[in-house]
Amino acid sequence: MRAVVDCLIPPDDYPGAYEAGVCDYLERLYQTDLASQLEFCAAGLDCVDTESRFRFATAFADLTPDLQSSILQAIETGNVLAPWPISPTQFFNLLVTTTAEGYYSDPQQGGNRGSISWEMTGFESRSI
Amino acid sequence: MENYDAIIVGTGAAGGIVACVLAEAGKQILLLERGAALSFDDVGRDQLRNQRLSVYGHNAGPELVGNPRVFVDPNGNSRTVKPHEPDYHNNAACLGGGTRVYGAQAWRFSPDDFRMATKYGIPEGSSLADWPFPYETLEPFYERAEWELGVAGADNENSQRSPRKRDYPLPPVPPGPQTIALTDGALRLGWQTSPVPLLINTKPYQARAACIACKYCVGFACPTDAKSGSHNTVIPRALATGNCDLVTGAIAERIEVDQRGNVSGVSYFVDSPQGTNRQTARSKFVIVSAGAIESARLLLNSTSAHHPSGLGNETDQVGRNLQGHLYPRAYGISPTKVFNGVGPGVTIATTEFNHDNAGIVGGGMLADDFIKPPIDFWYDSLPPDLPRWGLANKQFMRDNYTRVLHVRGPVQDIPNPEGRVTVDPGVRDKWGIPVARLSGTTHPATVIAAEFMRARGEDWLQASGCEKVWSSQPGLVLSGKQHQAGTCRMGIDPRASVTDEWGRVHSHDNLFVVDGSLHVTNGGFNPVLTIMALAFRSAEYIARTL
Repeated sequence: MRAVVDCLIPPDDYPGAYEAGVCDYLERLYQTDLASQLEFCAAGLDCVDTESRFRFATAFADLTPDLQSSILQAIETGNVLAPWPISPTQFFNLLVTTTAEGYYSDPQQGGNRGSISWEMTGFESRSI
Repeated sequence: MENYDAIIVGTGAAGGIVACVLAEAGKQILLLERGAALSFDDVGRDQLRNQRLSVYGHNAGPELVGNPRVFVDPNGNSRTVKPHEPDYHNNAACLGGGTRVYGAQAWRFSPDDFRMATKYGIPEGSSLADWPFPYETLEPFYERAEWELGVAGADNENSQRSPRKRDYPLPPVPPGPQTIALTDGALRLGWQTSPVPLLINTKPYQARAACIACKYCVGFACPTDAKSGSHNTVIPRALATGNCDLVTGAIAERIEVDQRGNVSGVSYFVDSPQGTNRQTARSKFVIVSAGAIESARLLLNSTSAHHPSGLGNETDQVGRNLQGHLYPRAYGISPTKVFNGVGPGVTIATTEFNHDNAGIVGGGMLADDFIKPPIDFWYDSLPPDLPRWGLANKQFMRDNYTRVLHVRGPVQDIPNPEGRVTVDPGVRDKWGIPVARLSGTTHPATVIAAEFMRARGEDWLQASGCEKVWSSQPGLVLSGKQHQAGTCRMGIDPRASVTDEWGRVHSHDNLFVVDGSLHVTNGGFNPVLTIMALAFRSAEYIARTL
């Protein structure tokens, strides 16, 4: 999951999704509000790895960022090569959305550690 | 069992005012609110669970469990929806109703909004009609709402949109960098602009503090109580008289009638730690102020031998003409920063296009937006050709969050009888009360007007120097949501309306509806000040009559 979320929101001058806490956010979210989607999301993450091994005989986490992005692009558009028991586009949409939610919403959610995305965007964190 | 002069169901923009006027006139009032009196901390700052962005829940009621509605899509498929889902068309259910968490734009409708059918004719398939009185009749009550609750604003002398006799009690919010950019654009286009009127204290007013420019108006509660709603203005006044009993956590089940079919009181459920009690209170008058969806639901659920189709529904009008607003939105990247982090954030509007647009029925107001948290921006405001993930997406957020100019506005809804509230024959809430069933769409003429307004939004941004402009255009959907209105419209003809001009239900001397349900049309403006003005007018009448 770390590799996938860092591909969705990569580190640059500002931390990527993993360093900002998005994995913590997602783990909590899929045990609470999205508990009904936990299995779906876990199956999707497994499929990302299967897709990676299918294409490059390598685990997703061990690929270069460019190759990782090429796999996610294929999943986003539904052009998968491995067998997917779930809808790849639906899975991808859910993951993109929930990753952004964690990274860009309030730090109390857990995925915007130190208000880092608020500093990055300029929304800032004046605490009133 | 108590005997009251009047029972008021609902404490939102209208119910609070009715309670205040009647209690101050010495009437004994029972004020029922289904939700709770929420503190600032109760409402919180959760950016994913609030009335503006309700991904997993919201913050001002009703509870997600036990309060379903049924939504029927344009293909006729129905499904049960929860309060935080968009198709629920929620308005906050708490003390103060929507005013607890609204953005608080305080517009008067314009004179032409009261005479839509006369001005435009009636588009085929629509139920467009004139109000039973002109703007001038409501004008003193707009003024009263502005002064008794506190509106900050300043009219543009040149636009003469809605003539006023008295100035606003408070100065407008100060301009920001977005205001300067949009003022330049409007000058280039020859458009008049004005500050956006807000029910927000720009200076201390009526013993409440001034705005501290935090970024959390719409969807949240105000940290200094500078945002004026029913909960911190008229309801405290009502309670201070000693004439008003307020019961929160009380959901009205039905309006009761006596053996002759005359309205006699209200039965309601109250939740307490000891369990749920059903109670019946008696009164001379009943006033329904539960919002356009719940007010219609309550009338329709109040069936009896004398009134088999519900109260006031002899001509099948209750619940019809549900309307709100479509919101075209336009965005553009400004060459300079247009964000200074100073709330509320909405500062400038144009009313150039509310009427007299060739080939368009109505139109609407356009304004900049309340400060939009980054997650709302990510959901709502990104250009359609931007990848949704990866470095390009992140760097757009980094580079452009403070440079994107926003323009949006409510488009006058052209009502039709098929956009409506009924009660579902099968689904019930946790108290066993049949729930609201929402069906239909707005009229196609609304979509045409929205498309026209979307293009004007793009014009404004281009003239304001934006390098890249994009926009989003609403489709043919049911509108309602926080601006829900129209379901018990006023009128002279009982075959085409539910109440008279005072909100009195045609077939009953002592039953009133007072809230957005009365709106014959809903203007091209945020409707709350009109709801408040109507409430003052009806409440004065009721106080004289009771």
